[in-house]
Amino acid sequence: MRGYGLPVGATAIVAAVIAVVEPGFYRPANLHVVMQQYAVLGLVTIGQVLVLLVSGIDLSVGAVMNAALIVIALMNHYNENLLLLSLVLCILLGAGVGVTNGLLVSLRDVPPFAATLGMTACVQGAILVYTLGIPAGNIPAALRPVALDGIGIVPYSLLICLAIGLIVVAFLSRGTYGRMIYAVGRSPEVARRVGISTTTVRVSAYTLCGIFAALAGIILSAYIGYVDPAIGGTYNLQSIAAAVVGGVSFVGGEGKPAGALIGALFLLALLNVTTLSSLNPFAQLIVQGVVMLVAVSLFHLVKRGSFA
Amino acid sequence: MSRDLVRIWSRRSRAGFAGVAAVLLALTACGGSSGSSGGTKTYTIAFISQGTSNSWAAQLDAVARKTAKADGIKLVYFNGQGDATKQLPEIDTAIAQKPDAIVLVPLGGAADTGPVERAMGQNIKVILCDSTITSTNYTSLVTPHAETATVPLAQWLADKMNHQGNLLYIGGLPGNTTTTTYDQGFNSVMQKYPDIHIINAGNANYSISTAKQLAATAIASGRTFAGAWGVGGEAVTGMMQAYVDAGVTSIPPIGGNSATNGTMRLAIQHTIQVASLQFPPTSSQVCIDTAFKAAKGESVPKSINLSDLPQYGPIFPPLDKYYKSQYSDDMYVGTDSVLTFDELKAINLVK
Repeated sequence: MRGYGLPVGATAIVAAVIAVVEPGFYRPANLHVVMQQYAVLGLVTIGQVLVLLVSGIDLSVGAVMNAALIVIALMNHYNENLLLLSLVLCILLGAGVGVTNGLLVSLRDVPPFAATLGMTACVQGAILVYTLGIPAGNIPAALRPVALDGIGIVPYSLLICLAIGLIVVAFLSRGTYGRMIYAVGRSPEVARRVGISTTTVRVSAYTLCGIFAALAGIILSAYIGYVDPAIGGTYNLQSIAAAVVGGVSFVGGEGKPAGALIGALFLLALLNVTTLSSLNPFAQLIVQGVVMLVAVSLFHLVKRGSFA
Repeated sequence: MSRDLVRIWSRRSRAGFAGVAAVLLALTACGGSSGSSGGTKTYTIAFISQGTSNSWAAQLDAVARKTAKADGIKLVYFNGQGDATKQLPEIDTAIAQKPDAIVLVPLGGAADTGPVERAMGQNIKVILCDSTITSTNYTSLVTPHAETATVPLAQWLADKMNHQGNLLYIGGLPGNTTTTTYDQGFNSVMQKYPDIHIINAGNANYSISTAKQLAATAIASGRTFAGAWGVGGEAVTGMMQAYVDAGVTSIPPIGGNSATNGTMRLAIQHTIQVASLQFPPTSSQVCIDTAFKAAKGESVPKSINLSDLPQYGPIFPPLDKYYKSQYSDDMYVGTDSVLTFDELKAINLVK
């Protein structure tokens, strides 16, 4: 629980401040919207955390999300019977991108930043070559309830996100796989000496990240309901920001997925409140930037204090 | 033996050289791939597009390529990737190629001013397409007069709102001159009605998904909106989708630009009152033609108002006559006035 102190504390403070400044945030309809949007960011963030923990970074999650939308839209253009197959293909595509990223980083020693940025260019390029910049097709009606419907105000998409989050938290905190992830992130050399296959661990982290990004792309497609080829545009940086705000380190081996999920909630609440406040959009950006800087600085101050 | 070989080689090589020379002469007489000869010159025009970012830009590019082919121009394409900072180095690269003219779709009004002035300083004609810069040092500006074109739409919206109530506003791309001029037209109307309260939900950056998320949040806030306004067809579409998904039965009138086939479909399907600007990406036809004339040394107007063309102008309900069910949602209303069915099919715009 100690590692979650700051994100939990920060979120509690933010929740209290929001109640005073923008009580409309707590309207069920708004909470429903926040949950719909959180399901997407949460999934991408879980994947990003896995990669950050093995001292990597994945800048191709947005491209995978875009590709998922294109696969769904094109395959279901004339025949919605292909929905299930298209979803499986999305997952395989995400896994494929992840495996490639992992292999480039592990076996070819390509810096993660360059490998995943290059992969983004490849995926985006493939989308453009295939669609000529104008993707035809539709988001099938059968897919939309995943994001729009749910139990009470809780959308199914959030339940999917939380279920995956819980599984990842359990694996990382209790299982052998979690110990290997942290070991590779802290010191690949030591991990290798104790018999851990750093390549397998890294590739698996990138693969899971790709799969979660594809899942997030599917859920976002269901939520937006319209073919927008740039659907994943902001999620590369948002997922990294959420993880960092939630206490995950850039240098690897440090941070917890639950903290990152709280960081994602913090980030989304911030975006939601600044939108609700109907501030000038330029002022909204300043507020978002300042609050994030304060949150991250505070985290590092507290962390330094706790190790002193 | 070796002397015979030399003689044979010499005869063959002479014949070969003569053949090559004849082909080269013939090519030169036909104009070749570039350069001038015999009074015919293939002009090179650098087309610095908004680039691979959304379907509007893709349609703009398709029309530009068609026009260049028809004019016999060598069109060199530079991809702005929908981002002003990525477009800037592309402009400098284009200038370095010393083309006869540049057609630029400016993404950053202020940022693009320096490179445009550098090009003009090197006697390269610069045609600004659809948006402008913060200087008048260019050859020609081809654009609808967004400020005036927006006024009837904003007035329609204000009237529909009975000049009172909350208005949900979603903006375009910060720093983009088209966005700024649309805003000027919109604000010039709205400032006459103090009882209309504009609720700014943020900028969608011409993205449907961003617009939908912003609108969904605004709708869920519990405020009631008597009207809505979106800068860009993407914002209008995103807002409509958000209202439909939120299950709002009485969707307020929505104004904005630019009209897409999808905007029309959603409006008709869900009985939403929508007024929109017909602003198809066919402007590149006029831009390329103007650049061609300028490159040839012909005089071109400093400003060409696209609003005078028949395919530009406001669209008000009923919208049935604007919706073309054979085309995809991404087609901008009016693009089919320039591209044929087969050309639209080639760029995925036919269902």
